[in-house]
Amino acid sequence: MSLRLVCREYPLPRSPVRLVSSPDNQNSRVRPWAAEVEAVARERDRDSFMRIYDYFAPRLQRYLAGLSGCEARAEEFTQEALLKLWHKAAQFDPEKASLATWLYRIARNLYIDHVRQDRGWQVTQESLEALERLEAPEDGLLDFSHRQEQKLASALHALPPDQARVIRMAYFEALSHRQIADQLQLPLGTIKSSLRLAYRKLRAGVEEPQ
Amino acid sequence: MNAQHHLDEATIVSYSAGALPTGLAVIAAAHLQLCPMCRARWSAAERIGGQLMAAQADMTVSTPLVEKDLIKHTVPQNAEAQRRQQRESMLARLDEPEVAAPTAVVPDFTDADLLPVSLHPYFGQRYSQLAWRWLIPGVRMIRGQAPGQGSLVMFNITPGTSMPVHSHGRSELTQVLKGAYRDAIGQFGPGDIADLDETIEHQPVAWGDSPCICVAATDAPLRFSGLIPRLMQPFIGL
Repeated sequence: MSLRLVCREYPLPRSPVRLVSSPDNQNSRVRPWAAEVEAVARERDRDSFMRIYDYFAPRLQRYLAGLSGCEARAEEFTQEALLKLWHKAAQFDPEKASLATWLYRIARNLYIDHVRQDRGWQVTQESLEALERLEAPEDGLLDFSHRQEQKLASALHALPPDQARVIRMAYFEALSHRQIADQLQLPLGTIKSSLRLAYRKLRAGVEEPQ
Repeated sequence: MNAQHHLDEATIVSYSAGALPTGLAVIAAAHLQLCPMCRARWSAAERIGGQLMAAQADMTVSTPLVEKDLIKHTVPQNAEAQRRQQRESMLARLDEPEVAAPTAVVPDFTDADLLPVSLHPYFGQRYSQLAWRWLIPGVRMIRGQAPGQGSLVMFNITPGTSMPVHSHGRSELTQVLKGAYRDAIGQFGPGDIADLDETIEHQPVAWGDSPCICVAATDAPLRFSGLIPRLMQPFIGL
């Protein structure tokens, strides 16, 4: 894999990431992503692939720009992540993950592999995902219906601002507990507690009974 | 192996976000391999990450990459042209041959000699091949070379032996692999993890019939309380 990791001269300022999706505006898609991925896997359908690309590339790029602080690198990783989808579409199992989660994992792993140079990360993730695939789902845990996605989106929007902020700093800037505590000038325990509360609300939002 | 002590959910979130310092991530991953309950929590954290990624503004259509006033000179007027160019570039790459990647391997739980997968790059694959060296009487250790600050160390502690009293500059994760230890917090056996922060001071004591093998990482040097351990610290590299 040859990645041109050349940053432009200007590092990206750390601006707050805006969440614009609301539970309602995700209905615009007509065809489920799982069907598009299947068309890519079975027929090498470029139109299906480009529909996935058009929706996810800007989102992946923004996510990766936040992590790496570098627009050029984010562009490279975005293309690399979607190229993996093109080649590995047959491995996507809509029963086990949403397309968003699948692409999120690919993008994050690319970032950690190439930027942080963590020697074992990729192999470790693959072994954990292999275990995950073997496990019987808990009730409701692996229901990746559109409704479940909507519930998670609702839970995200319902988070109190302080909890939403630490969640964003962890997921979008890959900041450690200590880095978040330093930036916000709050005790480490407060940061961990906010992350914990936010996580529980988001998880409960997804897993509560229909 | 059913763990009684688990990862803090805040640690799981940061692991999933790729936000844990490398040494801590290595230990968290070892626990995730051993603990189905934490693995289910991790799966949920991964879904949250996917949803967060997908819920962001579409920066090339309606939202500039950063605040407009900061980048008004760099936002291309021809964003649509740039987008078309990126699409063409993506399409052109679809004919590239696939780059070979390692295939996923399900960890082998039947081979009791195998270490958790995340530890392999730092300590090797097998317990039987670990190259221990003595730290103090009753305690042997191996240092792993993880990038960044802090330490990544595996200990082999003879039952009845105490580790020096220490607290942590920041965070510490200790995963018990074999044997057991106890401290003021409780008893930790195989599969258990201690997810500690800067407020905890403790003195683990190995107990039971066999040595306690545990692997620990911190994101800052430990702070030993006694004079002798403090004097030794530069030499043992903790």
